[in-house]
Amino acid sequence: MGAVDIRGVRKSYGDHKVMHGVSIAIPDGEFVALVGPSGCGKSTLLRMIAGLEEITEGDILIGDRVINDVAPKDRDIAMVFQNYALYPHMSVRKNMAFALKLRRLPPAEIEKRVRSVAEILSLEPLLDRKPRALSGGQRQRVAMGRAIVRDPQVFLFDEPLSNLDAKLRVQMRSELKELHQRLGTTTVYVTHDQIEAMTLANRVVVMNAGRVEQVGAPLELYDRPDNLFVAAFIGSPPMNFLQGAVTEDRSGLTLPDGLVLAVPGGVYASAGTPVTIGIRPEHFTIASAGWPVAVSVIEPTGSETQISTRLAGRTLRVLIRGRTAVEPGETIHITAEPDNIHVFDTQTGLRIDRR
Amino acid sequence: MSATLTLAGRRRKRPIGRYVRIAGGITACIMFLFPIFWMVLTSFKMPRDIFTTPPTFFFTPTIETYTSYLQHADIPNRMLNTVIVACGAGLISIAAGSMAGYALARIKVKGLATMGALILLSRGVPPIALAVPMFLVARNLGLTDKHITLILAYCTFLIPYVMWLMRGFFKALPEELEESAMLDGCSRFGAFFRIIVPISLPGLLSTLIFSVILAWEELLFALVLTNRYASTIPVAIAGIAGDSVNGANWGALTAVGTLTVLPVVVFALLVQKWLIKGLADGATKG
Ligand SMILES: Nc1ncnc2c1ncn2[C@@H]1O[C@H](COP(=O)(O)OP(=O)(O)O)[C@@H](O)[C@H]1O
Ligand SMILES: [Mg+2]
Repeated sequence: MGAVDIRGVRKSYGDHKVMHGVSIAIPDGEFVALVGPSGCGKSTLLRMIAGLEEITEGDILIGDRVINDVAPKDRDIAMVFQNYALYPHMSVRKNMAFALKLRRLPPAEIEKRVRSVAEILSLEPLLDRKPRALSGGQRQRVAMGRAIVRDPQVFLFDEPLSNLDAKLRVQMRSELKELHQRLGTTTVYVTHDQIEAMTLANRVVVMNAGRVEQVGAPLELYDRPDNLFVAAFIGSPPMNFLQGAVTEDRSGLTLPDGLVLAVPGGVYASAGTPVTIGIRPEHFTIASAGWPVAVSVIEPTGSETQISTRLAGRTLRVLIRGRTAVEPGETIHITAEPDNIHVFDTQTGLRIDRR
Repeated sequence: MSATLTLAGRRRKRPIGRYVRIAGGITACIMFLFPIFWMVLTSFKMPRDIFTTPPTFFFTPTIETYTSYLQHADIPNRMLNTVIVACGAGLISIAAGSMAGYALARIKVKGLATMGALILLSRGVPPIALAVPMFLVARNLGLTDKHITLILAYCTFLIPYVMWLMRGFFKALPEELEESAMLDGCSRFGAFFRIIVPISLPGLLSTLIFSVILAWEELLFALVLTNRYASTIPVAIAGIAGDSVNGANWGALTAVGTLTVLPVVVFALLVQKWLIKGLADGATKG
């Protein structure tokens, strides 16, 4: 019922093309996160689903109905905005009841639904306050309550947590996830924060400059990024990259400055191909043999330690569990499992798979 | 931190800055209020007290001017006309102007901004240049000396005024408010009336008041477009001042003037508290 199907959607503002053919199929009940750098078109896509922005080309379906020309009010969609957009002249109760009143539900039914949602979100003591008298976190809850109370086919969220402080953001993140598990409503969630996307969603859509770079389960994106963009975008601290050409025996990489690095497991591309290999900081281990790197900075957080190292003028970040006796200035050897080494074609940016 | 800085800065500045500000305020008040004060004072004088040299502040007050002059010059009727015309023009302009201002603030159509600017620019034409064409149009339509004629004439300058004031007001409201309302089940119109209008009430009301006042004191169009039946108080005042047969009756002039100002002042005092409150919490962001 609440499935959302986006088919070849394009968007231009006059001559300015901002979306170049986006297709995403979202099954009913799924939690999908749209993630990407600022300006990549996430909000625009969300607003096209909502009907707040015209679709230049392509179709968007909810259920099996094409909604391109359906007015926002008839789409049965609820949206939570980054600035919450609470109606300032209405109490929390009236904010939540607004859509139900417009649908001419009986007052008793409205009151019942508002109460039950207020209970879920612990909003009961705030019901008679105006938005002005609420804290940021409370406003955020009211905005969610206003969406939930409608029991729509689809929820849309546009960076709903980005105005909260870090601690509240983490708390609301878990609550949102729990809420989705409880309600099971199809949800499209826009964020520029990849951690938020990874932790919340069943499926993550990585967007860049008006295109979809990859769609997949959070761990799929982490384990097998399709291209350099996704590899660099997903994961924190970000993946380390080394560019070079595949050596004759395909056992390693010749860096631009002539240095030859042996790559554990070899590089599975034809000799001479310019490739970029990517290794996540947490996949490096300190070993007795491997790439010799000079330790420059050590940043312990208690549970793990981030070590910045230099390899022939390049910085490689290494993240290890626990603590380390390594000191800045020391030279250590680092290595990684062949399975954790990603190879990309430097020219196309595409992943090269082991055959 | 910044609060402390400001406090310290203010404390240092207080001796000079404060007195300058107070003196400035008093000067401005005197400049604006003295003519009105003098008008009210004069209206209670006997004719012989009006032109004494030096002017006198102390005299035996009388309401003789009010009682003797007012019925005979048809003042109550003209007062009623003024109320009808000013309120009618104010209400029509606020309705049309606020909707136009909303469109200018929100709807993205090529050329709309230019159109808005043109409407505003049309106000650069001196009213006197429009008065005669307007008179001819009104006469051809058989609309001379009617309330509706004046109301429409006033709308031509009040609507652009309201439109531009309200456009600024609406622009300051986050667009997500209406978008939210539209997703909640409103049409664009519904979102405007259920969300935007209630939030903007203080702005709408103050604009309405200024519009009514502008129409209230308008002379030129009233002079040209009305005659006897629909003529307004400013016309009466002009008539007294320019009476070439009996000479200007200064007592009557000030009495009618006082009566003209009175409703405006009472009205402003009534709504002032509400207006200031509205403006103060006009920070409507969610
Ligand atoms: N009304 C508009 N007119 C012109 N360009 C716009 C408009 N709205 C958004 N854009 C452009 O569309 C692109 C995508 O914007 P947006 O969807 O807001 O990005 P995101 O939400 O991913 O940060 C940006 O390059 C932005 O400049
Ligand atoms: Mg955005």
